[in-house]
Amino acid sequence: MPMRRPPRSDRPDTAATGIEPALGTRDRLHARLQEHLASAVSEFTAATALVVLVIALSFASPNFLTADNLFNIGSQTAVIAIIAVAQTMVIITKGIDLSVGSVAALAGVVGAIVVRDLGFSVWEATVVAIAVGAAAGLANGLLVAGARLPPFIATLGMMSAGRGLVFIITGAVGVYSLPESFQLLGNGQIAGIPFAIVITAIVAVSAAFMLSQSRFGQYVYAMGSNMEAARRSGIAVRRNLTAVYVLAGALVGLGGMVAASRVNSGQPNYGIGLELDVIAAAVIGGASLFGGQGRIAGTLIGAFLIAVVRNGSVLLGINIHYQQVIVGLIIWAAVYFDQYRRRRLEARG
Amino acid sequence: MSSNTRTRRGLAALAALAAMTAGACGGVEVRDDSGDGGAATTDGPLELAVVPKAVGHEFWSTVQAGAECAAELDGDVTVNWDGVSAETDVEGQVNLIQNFVTQDVDGIIYAATDSAALAPATQQALDAGVPVAMIDSGTDPQPDEVPLYATDNRAGAAEAANLLAEALGEGDHQVALIEFQPGSQTNTERVEGFTDGLAQHANLTLVGQQPSHSDVNEARRVTEDLLIANPDLAGIFAANEPSVLGAVQAVEAAGRTGEVVIIGWDAAPDEIAGLRAGQISALVVQNPFRMGFFGVQNMVEHLREGTPMASADTGVTFVTPENIDTEEVKAVLEPSCDNPPVDQ
Repeated sequence: MPMRRPPRSDRPDTAATGIEPALGTRDRLHARLQEHLASAVSEFTAATALVVLVIALSFASPNFLTADNLFNIGSQTAVIAIIAVAQTMVIITKGIDLSVGSVAALAGVVGAIVVRDLGFSVWEATVVAIAVGAAAGLANGLLVAGARLPPFIATLGMMSAGRGLVFIITGAVGVYSLPESFQLLGNGQIAGIPFAIVITAIVAVSAAFMLSQSRFGQYVYAMGSNMEAARRSGIAVRRNLTAVYVLAGALVGLGGMVAASRVNSGQPNYGIGLELDVIAAAVIGGASLFGGQGRIAGTLIGAFLIAVVRNGSVLLGINIHYQQVIVGLIIWAAVYFDQYRRRRLEARG
Repeated sequence: MSSNTRTRRGLAALAALAAMTAGACGGVEVRDDSGDGGAATTDGPLELAVVPKAVGHEFWSTVQAGAECAAELDGDVTVNWDGVSAETDVEGQVNLIQNFVTQDVDGIIYAATDSAALAPATQQALDAGVPVAMIDSGTDPQPDEVPLYATDNRAGAAEAANLLAEALGEGDHQVALIEFQPGSQTNTERVEGFTDGLAQHANLTLVGQQPSHSDVNEARRVTEDLLIANPDLAGIFAANEPSVLGAVQAVEAAGRTGEVVIIGWDAAPDEIAGLRAGQISALVVQNPFRMGFFGVQNMVEHLREGTPMASADTGVTFVTPENIDTEEVKAVLEPSCDNPPVDQ
């Protein structure tokens, strides 16, 4: 995947702002190379772990490496992957979104309700769900970028308020009795490939392209690296930061709709603890909670690593409690290696 | 002089304490105006807190309907319905119970998310003079004066094993169990009841057991994985509503509806639909309406007439495609306050 993410030294106006000393072309190239290397190493580590795990499971369980199981894993990971993509964009801006579980549930139940009570088609309902997610994202964005609340606090509030709204809207009862067509996103297929996997692929490729190729993507990394410097270099921080949350919210809404579709119902309790899964996926994939770092490819690898651990555990009959310990160990190991190679790179640089 | 001051301060503190104690018991003393001597009773309005394990499932909404029905029959009882959003939020429920004690409601009726962790909360309520009744899930230890209106989970789950054996017929079969909340009392009872019941059928082998954490998506995921891991799986017992719904989706998605027998628990609309569509062979249906109803009814009787509250089994009904349209089953499945399923 081509990268045009600007490391600090690469921002056009840094020299003018006087925040950092201007760097020569060679230094700039060097710094950029280092950033590439850093991300690549991080993803390489996670990918290696994933490959090793897949090979081990292929030997351990005759049922692991079957088309059915691989499609299962793909579909099972779809929702987490879509929402982890959203989380990654927020994390790159040095933010965090704790509200993803509540907002996904909100979008899912609203999507289910408009189909059941208003006769919307599944496509119209998907648009509504995405709009619900985007609206929640807009609220998050305005609180973070406008009211200057720390992202942790802004989205903590949304986590609570969103869940409350879900219960108010549904009367705390699942939304059932949906038509067969509602299952399209979660259970449908295109040319034999589960629709959920196709949606995830489209989301991931678009997000990766946007982050690495577009001007907006450059702003996202710039804001995460140094918000103040980004502001001084002329980036409309308020607007762009809000846009990140809106975009993330829209994806969370889509994810919530896919989740609801998978179980053919709007579940008010869906997604409790989901934020931890998606943050883990992003962090395992190399995103840094200190901002400015993270790529979609890494996040996908992280999401699949967690999913394969869970799938493999059931296939091998490993107790659920060990699964949770294993995921915890992976998070520690991933971040430790990440920090380790970063220190080494810095020492060398 | 100084010692005198200290004494006076001590007395003042004692007086304050006495006043506070009187305040805490005040409700009880005021109630004692019906003149039947001894028992603290009242004819006035009552405010009861009814707390489910969690809000958000059909089951608990039916408990609420039963509680409100019993309150309505009395006419002067307010039901204060409130719960945490996840069954795993044990601490949240402890706080909720404590808040109701602080509010000095007339009685608390609740289902414990954790039998050990909630025991002190019950005791605090009793110490503050607020009577407690448990529904669905009790505490351990449970004080003598606190009754439990609940399903006999062990017996119901053992019968689920029998239903599974019946549906599968002769020959050796592999079966799996989708439990919901490992560590919770109700879960443990159903798991043990089911495995005990399974022991009576030598031709059934338990090849997998996974929890759904009461999340439909997770139930679907683990069932999909179990189906892959055990291609010969012939039967599944899913031990609560979300577990059943997820299992049905997984079996359907694997194209094995009808081949894999599902015995479920509870009776959400989509579970009933699944039963009618042949995706589910039988449902073990509790009587949540009766839990809410009995809880409030007995509490009101206790507060009005001083009758001690006694525990009761609220019973289960085994619903199959054959009996689903009978009057008896209908009363359980579609409970209403006009025809409450409480005196069978």
